[in-house]
Amino acid sequence: MKFKLTLGLILGTTLVVLLIFVAALVAVIDYRVTSKLDGVLWTVPAKIYSRPLELAEGSKINVDLLKREMEMLSYISDSKTDIPGQFFLNKNKLKVFLRGYQDQPSGIYEITFAGSKVKNIKNQLGISEEFIKFEPISIGGMYPVHMEDRVLLNWPEVPQILVDTILAVEDQDFFNHYGISLKSISRAFLKNVQAGSVEQGGSTITQQLAKSLFFSSEQTLRRKVLEAIASLLIELHYSKQEILLAYINDVFLAQSGRRAIHGFGMGAQHFFGTSIENLTTDQIALLVGMLKGPSLYNPLRNPKNAIQRRNLVLTILNRSNKITDLNLAELKQRDLNVSKPNYRTETKYPAFHDIVRLELQKNFDERELRTRGLAVETNIDPVLQESLEKNIKKTKTQLIKKYGSGLEDIEGAAIAVDISNGEIRAVVGSTQPSSYGFNRSINAIRPIGSLVKPFIYLTALDKYEDYTLTTILDDSKLSLISGGEVWEPDNFDKKFHGEVPLHVALWQSYNIASARLGLELGYEAVEEVFSNLGIEKKVPNLPSVFIGSFELSPYQAIQAYQTIADDGFYTPLRSIRQIRETSGEIEFSYPYSVEQRMRPEPITLLKFALQQTFLTGTARGYSKKDIDKWNAGGKTGTSDDQRDSWFVGFAGDLLVLVWLGFDDNRPTVLTGRTGAFQVWKNFINDINPVPTEKTKLQRIQYVWTDIEDGLLSGKSCRNSLLVPFIQGTEPIKVPNVRKKCFTKNPSNNGAKIDKIKKIFEGGQG
Amino acid sequence: MNSVRSVITALIIFLVGACTQNQLAKDPNLYAVPVNNFSKSVELLISNADFLEEEVMKINAQSPSVQRIIIGADILIKEKEYIKANNELERAFRITNTDSALFLRLAHLRFKQGLLEESESFASKGLLLSDLSSWERLLLNVYLRN
Repeated sequence: MKFKLTLGLILGTTLVVLLIFVAALVAVIDYRVTSKLDGVLWTVPAKIYSRPLELAEGSKINVDLLKREMEMLSYISDSKTDIPGQFFLNKNKLKVFLRGYQDQPSGIYEITFAGSKVKNIKNQLGISEEFIKFEPISIGGMYPVHMEDRVLLNWPEVPQILVDTILAVEDQDFFNHYGISLKSISRAFLKNVQAGSVEQGGSTITQQLAKSLFFSSEQTLRRKVLEAIASLLIELHYSKQEILLAYINDVFLAQSGRRAIHGFGMGAQHFFGTSIENLTTDQIALLVGMLKGPSLYNPLRNPKNAIQRRNLVLTILNRSNKITDLNLAELKQRDLNVSKPNYRTETKYPAFHDIVRLELQKNFDERELRTRGLAVETNIDPVLQESLEKNIKKTKTQLIKKYGSGLEDIEGAAIAVDISNGEIRAVVGSTQPSSYGFNRSINAIRPIGSLVKPFIYLTALDKYEDYTLTTILDDSKLSLISGGEVWEPDNFDKKFHGEVPLHVALWQSYNIASARLGLELGYEAVEEVFSNLGIEKKVPNLPSVFIGSFELSPYQAIQAYQTIADDGFYTPLRSIRQIRETSGEIEFSYPYSVEQRMRPEPITLLKFALQQTFLTGTARGYSKKDIDKWNAGGKTGTSDDQRDSWFVGFAGDLLVLVWLGFDDNRPTVLTGRTGAFQVWKNFINDINPVPTEKTKLQRIQYVWTDIEDGLLSGKSCRNSLLVPFIQGTEPIKVPNVRKKCFTKNPSNNGAKIDKIKKIFEGGQG
Repeated sequence: MNSVRSVITALIIFLVGACTQNQLAKDPNLYAVPVNNFSKSVELLISNADFLEEEVMKINAQSPSVQRIIIGADILIKEKEYIKANNELERAFRITNTDSALFLRLAHLRFKQGLLEESESFASKGLLLSDLSSWERLLLNVYLRN
């Protein structure tokens, strides 16, 4: 059977093919539109925040650090303090206009300080408030490959003024068209013909949304057709409210480094450091104005253009009767008041971010982190972090100046934690802290030098019936076979010191006395204390372990010292406080956990010796007043051939550990004192921690002893030192040479009782 | 007369001794807490968790701000919202870490959560505070017995 080719058949076939092609094209577009609108658009990367600073009546505060934090949050000092984001600090009073965060409403508050404490907080009506909370600083996120960042808004969170402004400026007929508005196109056409150039677009909000979904800004007929089809399909599938919400969440507002800022929620965070509901009308006008040209009207790059554009948007709002003439005049006068962008860009603190990521990966998979819009509230204190970063860099420069260019490549790491609850306050993993790369705070496993000695001495002091701070140790030549070789440790000063009290051997960091003590105690006992302190690592049976060949990362080392600083209570270090869902509900918490691993009394004795490091040892230089105020203590560490310089010390509520060394493990010219301690000192001097109370234990008694023989002494005797003892373990012998200057000890009740006896019994007994 | 003087002397010596730290010990076990030596009310505290909770929640904080938080935390504990209660107590702990009212509640909360070792550790930590009343000391000691 043969077909005759007729014109009708050809036309018919062509029409069918065309229809199939159009149907396929529509199907493809439909698939892309719905998959994007139902899926990717609603995926939001997890965002990481610093801890929000909360002030409460009675809470400790360093006013200088508070001021620095407000400046980091882009609060501006202004005596008027009449718009959100301003503050005025005058002596012991702070007036601040909070932007508002979570349950903290925006408003004016006055805070009075008394010394290093918050005395009271009053709101603008003069009514006392117990707390105020500043917004946290966004310090990064878990971004997907396309680096789109947004803060997803739900309809109830969208302010009416934002909707009004968008509609007035972008699409007045939004509720009256089906995705394409012939009226808008004709109006734009006429306007452009009159102007002789393209001045106005005729795209509806739906078309703009479609355009952004296709990731293209090319001005071709083909794209316009696709865009029109997509717009019609969007209108077919979704309600007007859904379309407007998608637009509000998806519209591109700015590029910040590699990160693309999408949506008004993120725009509010990025440019004003607060959430959308706290924005004023002029700020919303600025954001909406940017839609016409995100780069051209970027308030950070082109403030003049941005102000002109904002004022035009305000005029349009006035014409649409959304604001009064009076409002218009006042709003036009306002400055832009945008925040500095540097704290809102990508990952700000890479070393800390690493630790957070490792912690998160224990409970969340990568996909969840990149899509669910989780808010990760961490424990980082941004002021301490900035200070630690600044001071590791500053110290490096000072060291190069002092010791020469051989230290150009010196690397470092430092961690600061809150002793009382194990919260990590600051971390750096390099002497160039903002650079990505090898994070030495967790990955550099290095010999800890004399940082190991307090662990050995604690093992001894825990056996309080056998060892006290004045137990005499032997610092004479030691020679033994270890691993088939003769092992003869040296002291740093290459001298032997003979018989020395235990506390002196520790703060003078004598190697031989420490090695002999470790050998006397045995590897098993020492390993048990290591484990109690939180070191999850086998202790090799080598005597060199007792003087510093033991290797740890800075993070592992500070974990062990945290147990010491917190009186024997082990608390796992925590970088994250809690994780919230987009609804604000807490999804996951990292609770404060505590486990008593050591008795507090031996720790008190150890802390006494660590305080001597500051008074007369390797960290000397601070005034007694400062040391007492901070209840400070610490230990320097230097590994073989000065390859590693360590210092760990506590001051106030902070425990800070610093390591310096070369990545290729070559010797440095630094000791613990000349290197790491200098970083610690610069940092602590900069932040001046608030004072802390010393734990006073009932079973600890202070006794005057001689610094050389460890026997009883008196306040007026030469070389005497008031040393703590666990009750019942204090020395009882007074050598003849000190009989004259020997006095009863401060907490000795015997003297008081003798006196009473004399009064009432006429000197009998 | 001499005997009266001796009695007064003995009494004063006893009082001075009782008020000072030295008489506490040479105790070979630094952690032996003589809870059993107290009274019937201790036995009741140990055996009746509701009574214990009531007594713990009667301990007020030293500052109004912390007091306000712990009132909320107490309600959450009663509602068995332990995670939220913990978050509130941690929030208060950041304001002050030397308030016995907080250590008592943290010890009690962990006890309710079934984390007995942690409960004991919080109680031990609370016992290191210097300005504890005898009743607070006793309550904290109860958690060492669980």
